[in-house]
Amino acid sequence: MATILDPAVVTRKPPPAPHGGIRESVRERLAPYGYIAPFFLLFAVFGLFPLLFTFYVALFDWNPIGERTFVGLDNFTRLVDDPRFWNAVRNTFSIWVLSTVPQLLLALGVAHLLNHARLRASGFFRMSVLVPYITSVGATTIVFGQLIDRDYGMVNWFLELLGLAHIEFTASVWGSHLTIAAMVMWRWTGYNALLYLASLQALPREIYEAAAVDGAGQWRQFRHITVPALRPIIVFTVVNSTIGGLQIFTEALLLSPSAAQTCGAARQCQTLTLFLYEQGFGRYQFGYGSAIGVALFVMVVITALVNFLLVSRSRAER
Amino acid sequence: MKRHVAAVAALVVAASLVAGCSGDSGSDPKTFEFWSFTGINQKADVEVYTKAHPDINVKLTEVGSTTETAQALTAALAGGKVPDLVLIQGDDLPKFMQAPDNFLDLNSRGADKIKGNYLDWVMNQSTTGDGKIIGIPTDVGGLAIAYRTDLFKAAGLPTDRDAVSRLWPTWDDFLEVGKRYVGATGKPFLDNAPTSVYFQAVNQGTQRYYTPERKLDYGNAQVKSAFDLTLKFLAANVTAKQSSFSAGWTAGMDKGEFAVVAAPSWMLGSIRTNAPGTAGKWDVARIPGGSGNWGGSYLAIPKRAKNPTAAWNYINEMQSPNAQLEHFLTSGALPSTPSVYADPKLTSRSEPFFSNAPIGKIYTDSVTGLKPFYIGPDDGPIGTEFLNVLVSVEQGKVPPDKAWSTALANVKNAVEK
Repeated sequence: MATILDPAVVTRKPPPAPHGGIRESVRERLAPYGYIAPFFLLFAVFGLFPLLFTFYVALFDWNPIGERTFVGLDNFTRLVDDPRFWNAVRNTFSIWVLSTVPQLLLALGVAHLLNHARLRASGFFRMSVLVPYITSVGATTIVFGQLIDRDYGMVNWFLELLGLAHIEFTASVWGSHLTIAAMVMWRWTGYNALLYLASLQALPREIYEAAAVDGAGQWRQFRHITVPALRPIIVFTVVNSTIGGLQIFTEALLLSPSAAQTCGAARQCQTLTLFLYEQGFGRYQFGYGSAIGVALFVMVVITALVNFLLVSRSRAER
Repeated sequence: MKRHVAAVAALVVAASLVAGCSGDSGSDPKTFEFWSFTGINQKADVEVYTKAHPDINVKLTEVGSTTETAQALTAALAGGKVPDLVLIQGDDLPKFMQAPDNFLDLNSRGADKIKGNYLDWVMNQSTTGDGKIIGIPTDVGGLAIAYRTDLFKAAGLPTDRDAVSRLWPTWDDFLEVGKRYVGATGKPFLDNAPTSVYFQAVNQGTQRYYTPERKLDYGNAQVKSAFDLTLKFLAANVTAKQSSFSAGWTAGMDKGEFAVVAAPSWMLGSIRTNAPGTAGKWDVARIPGGSGNWGGSYLAIPKRAKNPTAAWNYINEMQSPNAQLEHFLTSGALPSTPSVYADPKLTSRSEPFFSNAPIGKIYTDSVTGLKPFYIGPDDGPIGTEFLNVLVSVEQGKVPPDKAWSTALANVKNAVEK
């Protein structure tokens, strides 16, 4: 009787035949690889192969429709000597810092507000912050370009109302960098805020209530509850926005239509990806373009790694 | 079992990827594929052609801008499916001339017999050093000046196009008129100097960035004088500093912020679409210096084309002098065949948007008697570097006395490494 009532015994399958059982367990062990295979296959075709092929092409003087000659590391030595390359490196890092740092801080604040217990119509606000993210980058850039136009833009119209002189934002290094940074922030702040919000939601509300009862104000709640709780997701967003921020392209390409490939006459906001595009697809120097791509790859890996270590060490210290 | 499903799914994905790269429709001798860019109305030509040959099916694709079309062609030549016929803009042609083996030598189809129909200096640009003909020219740009008659009147300047042309036989005279206009109105005379002065003047010499022997020589006296001329316009402060084709340029044109735009024939369409409210207020006068060309396009047949015969038949018929004349009458693109330049249909063609200016006559006058210069593979990037430095001077980022040395350094870095 006792054996019949034991649920483990009742539900147990009859013991499988010895050789069939081995097949079954091999299958079960291999099945997960089958499920993830499509991703890795696509990654191999569209991710890994182009990456490795870029390293290969970088060793050639490669005209896509003409001659290709092996030149060894010549493209890289030329790159190191090219002032346009270092200009693009400076621009890329400047735009990255200007856009990423305020963006993530702002996203934290927005997430904290969106998580507030007394926020009404929270669904509406949570949806709203994602609207910039689903707007096309091209449209965003064109609208921003019109807003900051030297003669007819709204920003300069306000400056004029205040009795100030018009500013040609796209002509100067700082003006163009800030404009691109503003576009990146506008687009990504809401997205990051929602990521933060998602992990905040996992946090029991009672902690905030208890803190409030103990007399902690908004700022202390933010500083001592929100930020520590979000550390893992902050690491993720920092790495993610590093990878994205170092590869800014469309905003820079569309900002100055009359000198698109250089983002202005003096290459004042030409990013590394745009420099790659100019050399590879504007000039058809695939070898040199690939060398720029390799340099960018190395920079992104190093920067993301450094970021990761910095952010995770600060977590360990606390 | 599940594993098999996954493996099959993976295989299907892989198979479809491979198939996507080698998609191949059987070739039909009555059908050919034609890539053009937008804004030049090849559609009208194709309609004329298919009306005359109802059995021929022309698959016309307007790929995009001139640059996008050239990029798509590059990708196709490098290993994709090529069109049978492709339109290449003149500035993009030198890049393809560097690798002429990608194209059919049109001499093999009889281009040598019709090449005399076209302006020799235009034909030269699509002929390789050893005499292969890669493209047949469909049109040329010519050069002229578009000006606002109402604004000229308000400034006390003549408005009649012949009288206006007489005001500026040379670029220095043109600058004096500019100063007079600014003095009388306090408003800018010209849209900008880099495009409207430099890009016109540098196209009027007997040599541009290469010697006739096809050697790089971008720092020559003719280039320098066009460059210095532009700096004079910048120093005199007679321009609105609106870069051509920018948003501010479009808005400024519509609002009458400036009175003059240098206008190759294709620019007229740009003025019409960007400033529709100014219809009838424009007229067209001669370019200072008399003649010059900027622009024009070529039809070419890739070597791997499936149906080169149908493509050649199309070129042969639609680029004859008479067909080019008809195309000019419907689209305004200037013929590359001088035999029709005296045709009354061409000389009497007038443009209501531009006060009925006889554009056929004005523009063909600007390209007859033009001396050819060799356009090399790096002409595009070299021109851009010079232009960009002039724009930087305009924006106050490069001092004028450093402009020439900066430009030479930038060009050297861009093309001599």
